[in-house]
Amino acid sequence: MDEGLRFNFDDLVEMAVTGDVSQPAVRRGGYVHWPDGVGEILPGMYGITYSARVGDRAFGWAGDHVEPGVSIAHADERADYALHYLTCIGNEAEVVTGLARGARGVITGEHARLLVDFPREVLEEMTIGDTIQIRTRGRGPRLESHPGIEFKKTSPALARALGLRTEGGRVSCPVAMELPPRIMGSGAELNAEFVDQDLMSGDRVLMTELGIDQMRLGDLIGIRNVDHRFGRSYRTGWLAVCLCIHGDSVMTGHGPGILTLITGPAELLDFHLDPTANIAHSLGIRSQA
Amino acid sequence: MSEHNALSTNEVDLVAVSVAGAVAHPGFPGLPAEPYRMAADGTAFLLPTYGGIVYNVSVGDRAFGWAADCIHPGVSIRQADDNRNRGLNVFACVGNRARVMTGGAAGATGVVTGKSGRFSEQVIVHLPREVRTRMAVGDQVLVRAEGVGLTLTDHPAVSLKGISPGLLAALPAQEDEGHVAFGVTAQIPAHLVGAGLGLTSEGGSLHMQSTDRALLAELGLDRLRLGDVVALEDTDSRYNHGYLRGARAIGVVASTDGPRSGYGPGIAILMTAPGGELGSFESPDTNLAELLDVEQ
Repeated sequence: MDEGLRFNFDDLVEMAVTGDVSQPAVRRGGYVHWPDGVGEILPGMYGITYSARVGDRAFGWAGDHVEPGVSIAHADERADYALHYLTCIGNEAEVVTGLARGARGVITGEHARLLVDFPREVLEEMTIGDTIQIRTRGRGPRLESHPGIEFKKTSPALARALGLRTEGGRVSCPVAMELPPRIMGSGAELNAEFVDQDLMSGDRVLMTELGIDQMRLGDLIGIRNVDHRFGRSYRTGWLAVCLCIHGDSVMTGHGPGILTLITGPAELLDFHLDPTANIAHSLGIRSQA
Repeated sequence: MSEHNALSTNEVDLVAVSVAGAVAHPGFPGLPAEPYRMAADGTAFLLPTYGGIVYNVSVGDRAFGWAADCIHPGVSIRQADDNRNRGLNVFACVGNRARVMTGGAAGATGVVTGKSGRFSEQVIVHLPREVRTRMAVGDQVLVRAEGVGLTLTDHPAVSLKGISPGLLAALPAQEDEGHVAFGVTAQIPAHLVGAGLGLTSEGGSLHMQSTDRALLAELGLDRLRLGDVVALEDTDSRYNHGYLRGARAIGVVASTDGPRSGYGPGIAILMTAPGGELGSFESPDTNLAELLDVEQ
């Protein structure tokens, strides 16, 4: 990170929250529907996902909304909201029950559940219901030199790992690819502090034309002309830097999950392309992302 | 309701069935001490929102500029039980006849003019202003639901969604070699489609975005009226709403604008096609108030 960029990290409060490894659930009826209406039953959400990990591809799985790693939730609704709103990407997690007790992991996403990466050998020791404790830190961050830029769910570890640099007074973040705002879909109805917004992958030809189908889980993503401060909407002259947290979907209006990390006006914030911009690498989760 | 087109449909095969709801009470989220909702600029606001009997906003009125958050014109109804409410929301079609069955306005008739989606899920009914003054929250309104299963015989690629046969026949339309187009007051570009994307297209609504006010003014979209028939470009609403180049959805403006991000006016989608089979042409003043000849 550029030495001139100074955050208020010393002022951030660090707190523990917990969640339990979830059991996969299937919604009533079971089917998810392709754009032409054909129904299919696919795995992907909840539970321990053995075969998809941050750094792997986001497209092409025989799954829907594939959540990499371990998906955890809290049974109490209010406690679950605390798990959602306090946990930041890059926070450290620890297994506190069961055979894998003591194993360390890293938060890589927030979907309807929190997504935690653990080394593959740790997954072998885990079971549904195991409790994971997270040391949350990252709510209330402020970049002292650019207070007009807003950071969301960005842990100090992630902020240092993003590779931010300053160019002509603007802060620029490396991103693996840029998405056009017109394909940003499901999640438009939610506040921007909660979960993600799916990119809409239904135009398969466009996915190939723009190279979006090469996206990887953990990729940093740039979007121009959107304001992600209090909701996620089209606004000329604003932009957002986001993170790909879950895999593609067959359903219309859905696709890989794009979680907001940074948003601000174009006078202060920018992004630049770097195909290696992926948290699996920058957070040291995988040596070969 | 006058007919403006002679499009062939399977209307004779449709089954008409009753669905009913009670006039909904307005609600507020969160703790009693925290009545605020949040605007797109992060400020807290406290304004009337969906539900209830709305006395002074009707289909045909402006959709923008009210001191309100996504208000439903006229009367909003729902069922207390979610499963039954889904039956009401899916089977009631825009243009269906509604009748007040209980209370001081029993016997009065109106018409379904829209629906709302995730977090509210109500059916919006127009009743004359004078009738509204005699109604109470909780009154039962019965809808003669007719339209689910409706198809355009000569245009099988066009999916019809929650539109009554009568309203379909009243829309200005042009037919040309396997292609059908309908008259609309405005075309909304895909980047201004908002809340409702990825959610069901059977019932509910799809909101346009209104955070970028300057862009809306530039496109003239801030002059939309409640009940306006509008087209959504590059929008595939067959099974959920989502982006697809060449697709198109046509719907009616069902609720007003609001301050929240993603929540401009709500649009009840009436039809869609994925690959250019459905078109639209400019037809100013194509509005439910005139098409359904509603009594103000």
